This record gives sequence, C-alpha cells and structure tokens, in this order.
Amino acid sequence: MQKIFNLACGSFYALGAYVGVSAVGWYVGAGGPPALFIVPLALAGLAVGVVGVVVERGLLRFVYDRDETFQLLMTFAIVLMMEDAIRLTWGTAPRSTAGLYLTYGQLRVFGATAPVYNLIVIAASLAIALGIGWLLTRTAFGRIIRATADNREMAEALGVDMRRVYAKVFTLGTALGTLGGALVIPATAAMSEMGVELIVEAFAVVVIGGLGSMRGAFVGALVVGLLRSIAISVYPELEMLLIYLIVIAVLVARPRGLFGGAAA
Amino acid sequence: MTPNRSSRRQFLKLVGAGAGAAAAARLDAAPSYAQAAGPVKIGVLTIRAGVAAPVGAAGLRATEWWAERVNRAGGILGRPVQLVVEEESNPKDTVERYRKLVLQDKVEVVLGGISTGVTLALGPVAEDLGTPWLSWDGTTQKGVEETMPNPKWTFKSVDNEVEAIVAGILTPKYFKGVKTVAGIGNDYSYGHDCWESYQAVLKRFIPDVKFVLELFPKLGVTDFTSHIAAIQQSKADLLMCSFWSGDATIIMKQAAAVGLFKTMKGVFTTAGGVHDSLKKEFTPEGLLLGYNTMYFDDPKGSALLKQFSREYKTKYNEYPPYECDHAYFNAESYKVAVEKAAGPAKKWPEKTQVVKALEGLEIESLSGKRSWREDHVQMCNFFQGITTHKNVYDFATIDPIEVVSTKQAMKPAGSKLFEWINGWKV
Repeated sequence: MQKIFNLACGSFYALGAYVGVSAVGWYVGAGGPPALFIVPLALAGLAVGVVGVVVERGLLRFVYDRDETFQLLMTFAIVLMMEDAIRLTWGTAPRSTAGLYLTYGQLRVFGATAPVYNLIVIAASLAIALGIGWLLTRTAFGRIIRATADNREMAEALGVDMRRVYAKVFTLGTALGTLGGALVIPATAAMSEMGVELIVEAFAVVVIGGLGSMRGAFVGALVVGLLRSIAISVYPELEMLLIYLIVIAVLVARPRGLFGGAAA
Repeated sequence: MTPNRSSRRQFLKLVGAGAGAAAAARLDAAPSYAQAAGPVKIGVLTIRAGVAAPVGAAGLRATEWWAERVNRAGGILGRPVQLVVEEESNPKDTVERYRKLVLQDKVEVVLGGISTGVTLALGPVAEDLGTPWLSWDGTTQKGVEETMPNPKWTFKSVDNEVEAIVAGILTPKYFKGVKTVAGIGNDYSYGHDCWESYQAVLKRFIPDVKFVLELFPKLGVTDFTSHIAAIQQSKADLLMCSFWSGDATIIMKQAAAVGLFKTMKGVFTTAGGVHDSLKKEFTPEGLLLGYNTMYFDDPKGSALLKQFSREYKTKYNEYPPYECDHAYFNAESYKVAVEKAAGPAKKWPEKTQVVKALEGLEIESLSGKRSWREDHVQMCNFFQGITTHKNVYDFATIDPIEVVSTKQAMKPAGSKLFEWINGWKV
C-alpha cells in the first residue's frame, strides 16, 4: 500500500525473535507454568511491533515521495542498525528457549512425527491470514487501506488522514513480522543475522506471489516452502536453485507475479 | 661577560657531548633498546559478527585472561602486554587490518584468525611482512591439502579435518553394526572436507559401509525441518553432522522434536563448540560429541584449566569452549618463545629468533601439553565422547571421554590426506 519496498521486515522478524526469547526467559524465571509459555511469547512478539510506529513516523515518512532507491537505502540502513542494536542488547551468541519447544509433545500425522508446537504455529498462521483477509475485505478500515493502495491522492481528497493510515498499516505489518519471529523461535535459535536470511526468502515469496498482493504472498510462501522441502528430499543440490529458477521464470513470463494486480 | 660566555659555550659543549653520548649509546643498543621500551604490543584478530562471533568472543576472552595474568606477573621480560584488537571479517578487509596491525601499530606478533577462508589469504601477507603470526583456528589449507608447507612467519592451527578423522576412528568403537550413514554439514569447505575425511576413515574400519545421503545447507540456515525429514527417509543407521555454531543446537532440537535419535545413532564432530546450549531436554544421551581441543569438564584437567573454567563462568556465565585453548596456547607459546630466545641475558630477541624458538616448542596450555610442529602446525589432543545427562549442568556432557592426539589423527607434514588414510594399518 505504501509503495515501499521494506527490507527492514527481516529485522523486525529478528527483533521479535529476540524479544520472544527474553520474554519466555523472564516468564520461566518468574515460575510461570511451561505449558503456557506461548502466551508471553506471542504477547511480547506483538507488543514489540510498536517499534513500527517509531520507524514509520521517525524515518520512512521522509522517503515516501522519493525515488525507490532512497527507500531501499533507508530500509537497508535500518537492517544494519537493527542488527547492531540486537548484538549490543543480546550479545553475539545464538539465543534460544532451551527445551520448551518439546513441551507440547509430538503427534503422528500420516505416518510422520510432527511436533505439536509446529501444528500450533501453522494454525496460528492460518488464523492470522484469515484475520487479515477479514480486516481487508470486511471492515471500513480495510476498505480505506484498499482505496489508499489503489489511489493515494483520491483517498486523501476524500478525507482520509494519510499519516494515520500509514502509521497504522506499517505498525500492523511490523507487529506481524515481530510476532512471526517470536512464534518461530522455540523451534530454532535467535541469531543476529537471521533477518537478512529472511529478506532473501521473502523476496522470492513476493516476486512469485506478486508485489502488494496478500493472496500472492500466501501462495508464494507455500510455493517456496514446499519446493524447498521437496527439493531437499529428492535432490538436495537443487534446493536454492529451484526457487530462483521459478523466480526468474515468473519475472520473465509474468512480471507482476501470480497474483499481482495491474497497478502493482 | 667572557666567563659567562665561556661557561655557556662549555655548557653547550657538555650538553652536546651528553646528547652525542646518549645517541651513541642508543645506536649501540639498537634495536633492542628502542623495542624494549614500553609495552609489548600484540595484535589480535577476531571475529565479532555473524555466526562465528561466539567463537571469536571465546578466543578474545581467553587472550584477555592470559594478558591480565601475564601483566600481574610482571609482563614478558618486564614489559607489560598491550592487546591491539582488530576484526576478522572477509579476506580482503582482514588482510588490510593485518597490514595495519604490523605497519601502523607496529605489533610484535599477531594472534588470531578463525576462518580458513580468511587465513588462507593471510598466510602470504604474513610471510611478506615478516612478523610472526600465530593462528588460533585458521589454517592455510586449500580443502584438505596444505598450501604453505614451509612457512617462515606463519604458525597455523590444527588441520581442519582432524575432528572428523577422530570421530571416524571412534565411530566403530562405540556404534556396532553401522551399515548406512547419512551426513549433514555446512555448504563450504569445512563441511565438505569433514564429510569426505569421515567417509574415508570409516571405510577403512567398516569396508562395506554405505553413505546414503549427504546434505549441505548453507551457513546461517535456522530451519532444518525438511533436512531432518530427508534424513529420516534415508533410514540410515547413523547421522554424521559437522555443524559447529548455533545451527548445531537448532538441528539437535528439531531432530529431538521428531524423535530422530530414537532410531538413529548420531555423531556430532564439532558441536562441543556450543556445548552449553545443548540442553538435556533435547540432546539425547548416547551421541558421539566432539569438543575439539579442550573439554572444560575434564576430571583429569589441570589446575590451570579448572581455574580458567571457574573464572570464565563467573565473568561470562558460560562454560569455556575450545577456542579459548587455541587462543591461550598461541599467546602463551609466544611468551615462552620470547623468554627462551632472550636467553640468560634477558635481552629482547629479534623476531626471527622468536620464530626459531617457537618451532618445536611444547608448553602447558589450558587443555594440557600442546606444541608447534617443526612445520608450524599446532599439535594437541582432541576430546570426544558419548553424551550423558549425569552431571550438575542443564546441558549434556560426555562420559567416557576419549582423548586422541594429533600424532594419531592428523596427516604428517608433507603427506597427502587420503593417501595417508588409505595407508593406515587397521
């Protein structure tokens, strides 16, 4: 909507991961029951999303009307600064939530063992995707967002306060990123460069799905995730190559991505 | 007026003579007088960012601990030690910083270097600049073969693949009946070299062993779910993994989540580098785990190791990993070499004399006795063992502890790795 290519999304993801680790550490230290650790984890992940307001009001609003190069440089600067800020705050060693990942046990699904926590995260992702879909299509705020994405000047002429919409939308996006980082952390470990890793993959997802399309992002993420898994099982050397071959194919054959709109 | 003038002339003469005498004395004593004044500047190169940052931090901490001890005890030949720390990053920038340490900071020696990708480039530069360089963990190997067999100024770490060789020797001892093996390592030289070496060694002990799967995710990946699924599908008897940073912890956790090691044996050649993150909840007992060249909890460990581990824990709330031992050995061997080269006169030696004194030198390091082979490669012991939960920590440790010397597990100077392995009598 903001017509901005935000590289810093990866940093928000990393930030959410670190804050999630700290929140869970504090929760366990305070004697909270391990079975409920997901509550402080998700809350902390959402709460740190407020950093989005600071970034949007403090930095990004100055580059909305500039060339995309400025936006890329600005958001890349944020990536580097956040990586250093994380390193200063949490140190350089990977941080993890110890063994809480296994708290909910495992389930046998179609002959394979799956950690229940993974299923919870999948369910949460679906719920978030549906929630966002509902917000965009069924609420007045969603209509304003879509109208603004379609035609900023017209929406503004009709009385939409652009500054507030931008701040809200960007913060919502940031909170989704930080929540995502927090939710993924019990299964892995937080590392300061995890944000950069994510950006590369997110790039493939949005190119395949189509820039600016929620449905495209959803499908793109599924395509990338499934392809990687299949490649690793069948022919591991192809893992990364396959994804970028598809990215190139999409860029050549359908530059707007699978779900990209005409004005994307 | 005259007496005054004459006295002034006399005074100037005296001053001149004095200055001349002093200058003459300086010329006489040069260069040791000029060098011996003030602190001994020691350059330290360490990684502070990225996946290897914890390794770099451990090396630097041990070097600082050493410097504090040395300075408390009066320095080296009476000169206090002063560390000049620079960052190890990519080869090009690190070479520039190395040059800065030698040419601008005028350090007596450079310690450090972790990634062989970087140290391979540093070797020729160190030879060119003529200042001793002692590498913690980096070698000048290209793949598994040496590129600088006869260096003058460069002192290198243990060959990269030694821990995989040690694991290959210990695998048949602890895991009977292994017929199929899957491997996973990082997609760069170290990961591939370890896998090749491990296979070569294992084939010597179990000739009909089959290697059914090899996976090389790139460094920095944090999700191995798909890799673990592929490993499960391979139905291998054993998984060999050479991860050494945060990814070792992650794969252990994600493997535990699907019960991988309930049916499969596991060999983690290098995961002891992140040992205190291998929590008992997800690190099973019965895996072969390598701690590289130092095991912090060695019951037979020296008083020095125990003191170091205790103070490290107090200061950083972590238990020290092996990089501390590489770093301590480098720094301490430099000190001993300087003192040895100085002789009874205790005159600060030339750099060439220090280098000569280092060759073949054996000293007491944190992990026990360590030495420099004549061709400037570190000789030491490797510590590996079977994971256990019977300890006072919240992470797994090893028992029994196997100690394998580089005399057994490192290719001799001048030999080719695979020819050497294939020539073993087993």
